[in-house]
Amino acid sequence: MPVLRSATAGSGEAPKQFSQPSRKGKKAWRKNVDVTEVEEGLRELNDEIIRGGVIREKASEDLFVLDVAGDSKIPQKFPKHVKKGLKADEIINKRSAVPAVPMRKRPGDKTTDGVIAAKRQRTDWVSHKELARLRKVADGHHESTVAVKDATFDLWDAPAEPVAQDPTDFLPEKVEAKVPKSMKQQPLSLLSNGKQLPAVPKPTGGYSYNPSFPEYEKRLAEESTKAIEAEQKRLEAAAAEAAKLEAAARSAAEADAAEERANMSEWEEDSEWEGFQSGVDERPSAKQPKRKTQAQRNRIKRRKEEEQLAKHKAEMKTRRAQEQRIKEIAAEVEDKEKQKALVLAQAAAEESDADSEIGEEKLRRKQLGKYKLPEKDLELVLPDELQESLRLLKPEGNLLKDRYRSMLLRGKVESRRHIPFKKQARKKVTEKWTHKDFVI
Amino acid sequence: MARIKKKGQAGAAKNFVTRNQAIRKLQLSLPDFRKLCIWKGIYPREPRSKKKVSKSSTASTTFYYTKDIQYLLHEPLVQKFRDHKSLEKKISRALGRGDVSDAKRLETNASRPEKTGKPTYTLDHVVRERYPTFVDALRDLDDCLSMLFLFANLPSTSMVPAKMIARCERLCLEFQHYLIVSKSLTKSFLSIKGIYYQANIQGEDVLWLVPYRFNQRIVGDVDFRIMGTFVEFYMTLLGFVNFRLYTSIGLKYPPKFDAVKDENAAELGAFTLEGKTLIGGEEQKKLEDVAHKPDPKVQAAVNKVLKSITNGDSNGAAAEEAKNGDSDEVDQDAAGAIDKFEPAAPGGDILLQPSYNGTNPNSLFSNFTIYLSRETPRQPLEFILKSFGCKRVGWDAVLGGGAFTTDELDPSITHQIVDRPPIQASMDEDGDGEDNQTAQKLAANRRVPGRIYVQPQWVWDSVNDGELKEPHLYAPGASLPPHLSPFVRKVQGAYDPTMPLEDQEPEHEALEAGDDDEEADADETVEGMDVAESGDEDEDEDEEDEDEQDEDDEEEEEEEDHNDALQRQIELEAEMAGKTVQSKTANPKTKAKEDARKALAKKAREEAEDLERAKGMLSKKKRKLFEQMQYTNNKKSAEDAKLRSKRRKVEKEKAAKA
Repeated sequence: MPVLRSATAGSGEAPKQFSQPSRKGKKAWRKNVDVTEVEEGLRELNDEIIRGGVIREKASEDLFVLDVAGDSKIPQKFPKHVKKGLKADEIINKRSAVPAVPMRKRPGDKTTDGVIAAKRQRTDWVSHKELARLRKVADGHHESTVAVKDATFDLWDAPAEPVAQDPTDFLPEKVEAKVPKSMKQQPLSLLSNGKQLPAVPKPTGGYSYNPSFPEYEKRLAEESTKAIEAEQKRLEAAAAEAAKLEAAARSAAEADAAEERANMSEWEEDSEWEGFQSGVDERPSAKQPKRKTQAQRNRIKRRKEEEQLAKHKAEMKTRRAQEQRIKEIAAEVEDKEKQKALVLAQAAAEESDADSEIGEEKLRRKQLGKYKLPEKDLELVLPDELQESLRLLKPEGNLLKDRYRSMLLRGKVESRRHIPFKKQARKKVTEKWTHKDFVI
Repeated sequence: MARIKKKGQAGAAKNFVTRNQAIRKLQLSLPDFRKLCIWKGIYPREPRSKKKVSKSSTASTTFYYTKDIQYLLHEPLVQKFRDHKSLEKKISRALGRGDVSDAKRLETNASRPEKTGKPTYTLDHVVRERYPTFVDALRDLDDCLSMLFLFANLPSTSMVPAKMIARCERLCLEFQHYLIVSKSLTKSFLSIKGIYYQANIQGEDVLWLVPYRFNQRIVGDVDFRIMGTFVEFYMTLLGFVNFRLYTSIGLKYPPKFDAVKDENAAELGAFTLEGKTLIGGEEQKKLEDVAHKPDPKVQAAVNKVLKSITNGDSNGAAAEEAKNGDSDEVDQDAAGAIDKFEPAAPGGDILLQPSYNGTNPNSLFSNFTIYLSRETPRQPLEFILKSFGCKRVGWDAVLGGGAFTTDELDPSITHQIVDRPPIQASMDEDGDGEDNQTAQKLAANRRVPGRIYVQPQWVWDSVNDGELKEPHLYAPGASLPPHLSPFVRKVQGAYDPTMPLEDQEPEHEALEAGDDDEEADADETVEGMDVAESGDEDEDEDEEDEDEQDEDDEEEEEEEDHNDALQRQIELEAEMAGKTVQSKTANPKTKAKEDARKALAKKAREEAEDLERAKGMLSKKKRKLFEQMQYTNNKKSAEDAKLRSKRRKVEKEKAAKA
């Protein structure tokens, strides 16, 4: 341990080895180490500074002067003739050589010598806001790193990059990865018929801000039946839940009662002592299968062969019959196909019309992802809110949700749910008994 | 012996990967992976059996094609994402040590690529890859436009930064400018959700939805990270689409943007479109045209073939033209008067547009000066009016800058759009209440003479019908006609309120209507007053008739046979007696009608038989579907018939009054 010691202050002791008898035990603890020496040294240093600077650091010119004055012993010899200074002066002169720290700002401070002192800056300062942002970035919530630039060239008409033919380049050309066919497949539509929904379905007249009466009435009726159905379903579910709870309570009560009864009558019931036994007489009663005789096997074989032959003959017969009227059949099949195609085309045309318009989508049974597709908002202006004026229109529905739902519906992304915070470890709560810790 | 197959070595287990497997393979974080999938167009798939795919004990829910994920490994963006991931690690390590300044240094170095030389990335190549041709991009523009217009109208939050909103707005306005200049807006519809617009861009119909102003609530169940990812991609896409569209009509992209005007909410007015430099630009355009156009020999051959094809087949020709070359629409507009079905003309877009007799629908408002009152929605009105030819649109100063005039008393104004009810009480006593807010100098209920006042719906209805609607129907305070959707496809036989009755009623209905007329006439002679009621009853009967059509048909047929036999008998008897036949049906008109009805019934019967036969050949499932379809169709047509009959009645009453 370095010991600070002023050069002038002699301790008076002879130099000696630093003594540390043992590194073990409590004496070796940091708090028990003797530092009086260090403290002493520091105090002396401080005193020196107060008296006008550390003597060791001073130049010799400051310390020594050529003594041109008279003998210094004279005043001691003739004390009466020497003028003594005042006691007050003595005290004042004892004051520290270090200038006091100004506690107050003075106007004079502003005037400088013309050289502007550099403003002290904390270059490494990070504000709390910034810190919060950094934490977020570290958690992966970075802002967009896509460079925002105006388009400066025609993407679809850009000239192909010139192929640099370097004769010295002996490396084989880089092979571009081929786009797999699966990339071009349409995303999985959530509709039951598996068709792709248009990104923006066409609005029907019922969605007009000033709808014609029949169209509006139709929509209103549709929506209200839907709402009523949903409410009924909810009520039913609630009733079922209540019934279930009740049944559970009842069965629990019964079980309790039964248990009680059982406890009561443990010794009164029939037991093996009285000759009753349960679960013993369940002997396998099925007859053991016997082996087939060779004759039986032969018979079975014959019969099978005969059956096969008969089947073959019948088939051949029908085939021959068909061969004879093959042209007729071909015509028939063709006709059938045509009819089928016609009817299907009609049906398809109907459906495609319905698909591109807004309406109730029929969803597939299996959902994509873990969570359900969010419900559609009710997009209907109620009759008492229906206004003819555009100014008074109260817009319905939420476009943001609508767009998001459309993405999900078209299978572009799987549905997610916002999870506001992580699942946290469950804490066990216990009651403290401090309320009992008092004495009257 | 065949080799024993191990489980999980082939088939679904190889073709699909779970999301976690994909993430581990690509060494990305889940949000990054999601982003990448959205940008690259990789969608979740569904294996036929989930059990066969995943070997894990917990059920996986999202699967991808292995090949897709394999292909993603070649994506240059993956490297960027990985770099960012490592940066995140460094930052979190620094933060964990308490070296906040170190963390900040790392972050700033990464976010200032120009200083550190580490570039941020663009999505150009992804756009190019997903839309190999420009037409592909146009086809997917619906979603893009709806999203960007929506985001342009959102309030800025921590999830949706203001920068993104401003960018969306700018791109949307640029796109609107293109639509105005090229006059390619076709339809618009005011719905309760927002305003629908449809435009025809180079032969592709694009439909998008724009929300009303100040209406967007941010709801919790929307994932903004995902939406933001989509928007980032679509912003890049629309930027390139705008560039292409602007250059195709000889404009410079990006247009000059005036920030000061934008501060004043000038919106469309903040942009100044510039043509390419006059001489050089044209040359350049020509060069481009040459570059676009196919070989002249081939073109000549194609033209020959086209000429040989009849002009009626205009659609095919138009498609061909659209394929053959990018047309210069400005030139086309200049030569707009030429016959439109000439396939030799170098431009397909004009051909595709329906011909309106005489007037060009896209210069509908070209002769007007229109003033918007302060209560009207300025943005949509300005856009629609301008894209349908109106050059001078003025509005009240509170609606923002960029107006042609803010002076309501400007004598050049021909139309004013107002949306407030006329106030009945006169305001004269109060005098002119000075309103500092607006530039309005008129009292509440005053009208400037020599100017037409209409409600906003007039604009939309005129645009959708392609002709100017009568303004008196849309006068302020008048009860407006219903605003119909222009996107409803006209179905054969469905009731359409905009068409005259004769054009839309099917034959049998017309015949019945004729009968009703006669009956009504007869009624009138007898009991004049009850026409309306009797008509009602008739209609009810009609409906019943339709329901029991088949039975009726059979009965009718028998009756006819019987009648025929009787007629024959009479004729024979007359011949025997040597007399002329007295025709029972004296009226030739009724006779003709009778014949028509018979023919109709016969036709209907035949059709029904055909259908029945066809139905018999369908599978049970399809037959059920078909029957259901028929049921709904019948119901619909019954409804339509009811509506028509109602209208018939109203028209008759009107005619009687007149």
